[in-house]
Amino acid sequence: MLVVSNIDLALETPIMKPSAFLESSIKDFTLNINNDYRYLKTGYYVSLHAEVLGNRVIPSTENIVDAYRTPILLLRASKAGITTMPFVVTDSAKQIMSNFDFPTVIFAVNPFSFEGFRIAKNRSSLYKAVKSLSMNYKFAVCAQPLLGEIISFKSIFGRCEVKEQAQKIAEEVYNIFRIPLCKLHVQLAGERAFLSGLQQIRKDELTQLDLQLLRREVSRLLRDGERLVG
Amino acid sequence: MGNIACFVERYNFTDPREVGALQNFKLTAEGMGHRFNFVFRENLAELPKHDAVFIRATTDPLYTAYVVSKTAWELGLKVVDDPKSIQVCGNKVHLYELFKRHDVPHIPTIFLNKDEFHHKKILEIFNAFGRPVVLKAPYTSFSRYVEKVACETSFREVAKRFFRRSDILVVQKFMPTAFDWRVGVLNNEVLYVCKYMVPKGRWKHGVKRRGKPTFVWGRTVSLKRENAPEKLKETALKACALIGNGLYGVDIKEFDGNFVVVEVNDNPSIYAGYEDLRNKDIYSKIIAYLTN
Repeated sequence: MLVVSNIDLALETPIMKPSAFLESSIKDFTLNINNDYRYLKTGYYVSLHAEVLGNRVIPSTENIVDAYRTPILLLRASKAGITTMPFVVTDSAKQIMSNFDFPTVIFAVNPFSFEGFRIAKNRSSLYKAVKSLSMNYKFAVCAQPLLGEIISFKSIFGRCEVKEQAQKIAEEVYNIFRIPLCKLHVQLAGERAFLSGLQQIRKDELTQLDLQLLRREVSRLLRDGERLVG
Repeated sequence: MGNIACFVERYNFTDPREVGALQNFKLTAEGMGHRFNFVFRENLAELPKHDAVFIRATTDPLYTAYVVSKTAWELGLKVVDDPKSIQVCGNKVHLYELFKRHDVPHIPTIFLNKDEFHHKKILEIFNAFGRPVVLKAPYTSFSRYVEKVACETSFREVAKRFFRRSDILVVQKFMPTAFDWRVGVLNNEVLYVCKYMVPKGRWKHGVKRRGKPTFVWGRTVSLKRENAPEKLKETALKACALIGNGLYGVDIKEFDGNFVVVEVNDNPSIYAGYEDLRNKDIYSKIIAYLTN
């Protein structure tokens, strides 16, 4: 198994830098570790290059594109049995109000804004959020009702340190999309947890504990082989 | 009888030639006994009521059109353009990586990584391809984000702009021609053939007017598909076979009887009186593909 990483994993096994891998033609099962897999970013291109070489790769470019597009993330997750809230894709605040009561949570579906979500508690904040995240109504947004609170946490190979229900969601999201590192947004309402969104992790958000967990998981995969990653 | 949703955005109704083509699709579908409804982003909840989805809005993995395509795909509907085609054609790095790997004749290309954007690399590129070279952002469409640069200063200025969104750019040899061939392909068959002429004094089919947001477009000369060179059609089909069996528009340059692929576009433009001028059956063929 070939590990390509932009994070210093400090392992004994040689780890390839993304820039070196992109110049190479190595044919091997590829594990792509990156804090940011967004479309058009280096993390995405590493998976793309591996696929064009004919390698099996984690994560796949299809999963990357789908996981970072909130409506597709929710659609595929709910098909696989993960609890999600209903959502609408639109650029109209009026349509959001006709579907859901306040508060609502709004995610961007545009090529430029990647950062998180906005919570709209009333009509005027909804209009502001839609105008901003749709870039003046040029693109769509994805709106979901907010019935509890949203928690955001890091997921490393589906492992995280949060409440049990959210932990289960992190595991299931990893099993579907195989994104080794990401931040998940999960809505907690009563005893239930609902997947809301996914985004990249900034490198400076990774703590020593996160790096230890990452090292442990990568070492386990290197030791136990590809069967563990499917 | 099939029920077809045609996903469009408001801008699809600003050019009368495109409006004409959309009306032709609707009339043809209804003439063949199908329903054909325009679906805008406000009505996406209606997608599951349809049997097939035909996307005419601009596609890109980051646009709403991808959400529509993938949703339709997940619902098991027939969809043109399918998500994989959008993913591959929407990223020119992906496209040229495939062409290199599978020996599809294409314009000499190298990729420029953000990490290697320095003086030495730029000189290497100029030495390899001569001056000027063409810089292309991977998300280019409708001739936008493709610029010709002849010196290091302009190379740096353009590359810096394109690097804002993508960590890798495409650099190509400048190969000027009077026109680009456009071969429309559907389900591994040639649908139409055109020549996209380059406006006088320019170097690409669509050029932005200096200081204005509008574009100058070259003429479109349509040919009967049976009259187009066989080698041209073979090259186009070989390039499309790497991507899938949807609807594509392949741009090809001709040099001394040799054909090299410029790019394969999903969601190709179809304007009434242009692409359809010598091949009137393109509407019925696309509708039949969606409903069969």
